[in-house]
Amino acid sequence: MKILIAISSKEYSGPTLDVGMNIARTLKSSTTIVDVGNKISEFSLKDISMANELMETWDLDRPGVDVLEWAYKYLEKNQFIDSLDNSNDMSKHSLLESGSGRAEILLKGRTIKDLSLILRNGDIIHELRDEVQTFNYDLTIIGGSGQRNMAHDLVQYIDSSIFIVNNFNLNQNYKILLAVDDSPGTKKAIKYGVRVAQAFNNKVEILTISEEKNISDQCVQASNRAEKMLRRSGIDFDKNYKVGEPVKTIIDTAADDHIIIMGASSQSPLAKFFMGSKPLSVMRNCNCPVLIVK
Amino acid sequence: MLGFSERSVSNILFWVTRKKWLILSFFFSISFFYMPSPDGLHPEGHRTLIIVIVALILIVSESIPLPAVAILILIMEVILGVDTADGVASSFMSDAVFFIMGSLMLAVALVKQGLDKRLALSVINITGNKTWRIVLGFVAISALLSSFIGEHTVGAMMLPVALALIRNAGLGTDKATNLSSVLLFSIAYGCAIGSIGTPSGGGRNVIMIGYLSEFGMGTVSYLEWMKFTYPMLLVEIPIVALVVWYTFTPSQRIMDSSVRKLKVKVAKTGDISANQYMAIFIFLIVFCGWIFLSPVIGLGIVALSGVFLYLSFGLVDWQDINRNTNWGVILLFGAAISLGIQMRETGAALWVAEQTLKYLEFIFQDIAIVRWFVAVVITGLLTNLLSNAATVAVLGPIILDMGGNAILMGIMTSIASAFAYLTVVASPTCMIIHSTGLISSSDYFRAGWKLFVISVLLLLLFSTFYWPLLL
Repeated sequence: MKILIAISSKEYSGPTLDVGMNIARTLKSSTTIVDVGNKISEFSLKDISMANELMETWDLDRPGVDVLEWAYKYLEKNQFIDSLDNSNDMSKHSLLESGSGRAEILLKGRTIKDLSLILRNGDIIHELRDEVQTFNYDLTIIGGSGQRNMAHDLVQYIDSSIFIVNNFNLNQNYKILLAVDDSPGTKKAIKYGVRVAQAFNNKVEILTISEEKNISDQCVQASNRAEKMLRRSGIDFDKNYKVGEPVKTIIDTAADDHIIIMGASSQSPLAKFFMGSKPLSVMRNCNCPVLIVK
Repeated sequence: MLGFSERSVSNILFWVTRKKWLILSFFFSISFFYMPSPDGLHPEGHRTLIIVIVALILIVSESIPLPAVAILILIMEVILGVDTADGVASSFMSDAVFFIMGSLMLAVALVKQGLDKRLALSVINITGNKTWRIVLGFVAISALLSSFIGEHTVGAMMLPVALALIRNAGLGTDKATNLSSVLLFSIAYGCAIGSIGTPSGGGRNVIMIGYLSEFGMGTVSYLEWMKFTYPMLLVEIPIVALVVWYTFTPSQRIMDSSVRKLKVKVAKTGDISANQYMAIFIFLIVFCGWIFLSPVIGLGIVALSGVFLYLSFGLVDWQDINRNTNWGVILLFGAAISLGIQMRETGAALWVAEQTLKYLEFIFQDIAIVRWFVAVVITGLLTNLLSNAATVAVLGPIILDMGGNAILMGIMTSIASAFAYLTVVASPTCMIIHSTGLISSSDYFRAGWKLFVISVLLLLLFSTFYWPLLL
């Protein structure tokens, strides 16, 4: 299991890191934290790389390194990581360039098990897509800012499951809203539901929605499967059936105190591109964190 | 679906959404190609304009790499029959391109000498530790230096100085504080106003001089250029400092600890070395070459001679030059200048100039005002969307074809192309300070619009009252 956590600035990335590391710890997965910096115009690419080289001679860190350093300290303070102190190792932070516009940061005197810090520059969707495709992440976790504009591109083009940490309040106790139906994506969504519930030690609400009065057998089966999995893992849960428009029902039920977990749409990419999908509508309109499982 | 896997459909969709401007410009060029040529425009001119518009779309959107745009321009010039392959090749290389190439290489050679720390120390020794004096000092030194050696060099050298001061101010870099904005913008805007000062201040000045002599409209020597532009530069230094200061007034009025730490840092690097003296000496030779020899051998050849000296005295490695020179930009400017020359030769520039004059005369009633409006306001606005050299390369031939005193129109256009205050992409220095992540895109407009208006008015004053005295 590999997790990618995308952060942007120090002000807004705390909750994203918290959620991401909670999940990573439960899944014992290796984690990468990436900061995608401003896109640099090609006209100025070399001027900026020269300025960055000069900054080395001043012992100044490259822009972006400070954000990752902050992320590291945040994790250390909140006891998410055990770091080994190798103070004699290096005199300052160093950058390991790996391919165009991607650099790994080695923090001064630190080695951390299963955690890498990556700096990238460019268009955020392009960079995340490239990172996910090249290094095969299973889950990408990203903060909620700008989510409504980016939602479409994230769902459409990022090849991993996506967790958008939208409006997350660290002091609130979230329940998990596990939306199950007869789609092929549900099975995997249930698995993630169990893991996230374990990570946060939360109660799960299994929700099955039908647009007609009668709920199909497949939906009932899916709901029962979810129930079985949760019971086996010893997680507290409720099971509900509702009639109504799925997207609206999910958003209304979730309000702002649930984490929504649902499977990705199984439509073809072309259909999704032109007509959108339920997960996309939920992501665009909901007021709480949401995890779309692919 | 058609035997494509979901993954490849998704890849294709991704490509299409990212390259929409490329696809759009393709369909645009096809449909424009089959439209009949407007009255008074030769078919070759019509096809040249297609290339101009495609190139502008692709440069602004950056949907394909810049060298690819350059290559596309050359291919289209030949395929659309604007000129023969040999004709395109010879218009592609010129002294202006030599100059841009030489100036980018000189930048690498100078930056590699570690002169930034000397520079920092001399600025700080003059300004002391009061923040407002440091801001004024940054504007002045950026403007004066970039008038001779190109703004990208100065921007790259000044950035670490500003960041060292900001990071040692004990504020942390959490927020885009006013202190970082005021220092970084004083570099960016200082470099912008400085680049008008001499022909070697920016590639676009040399492009304009190249057009003037290529089209047989006159010559401007290094010192003549300075007589026209330097007074305006000097007047703008305090103005920029004031505008930047009052837009981003910092709460820290004294930067005592930062200044002291900076002095300690520089002291550790030891005395100025023989190589550094040599580097400065070679630059002085180049500078004298620009003043005294450039009318005979060209500004570009002088710049390349400087590169030759740096390389042969071992002051810079070829590997460093090779790695840090933006070859793509050189290709692009070569292609853009070639396109500018074709615009003139096919009559496309004249046609656009006449149409512009015809329509704008309705609004302004006076042809002199129309010329001024296009040369100053349109150039100034376009330079904020495009690179400033590309703006001059494309607009230059049109403006020179609008009549009036060609030399004055040319210098006016070059000056207006330095009004790159409003956006991140306006100039390399604007981009350099943005790359620190300390400045948001909207800050450019906050201070930029004031400077834009003031600069336009100043240019109007200088061109009306001062320039006629020089003729």
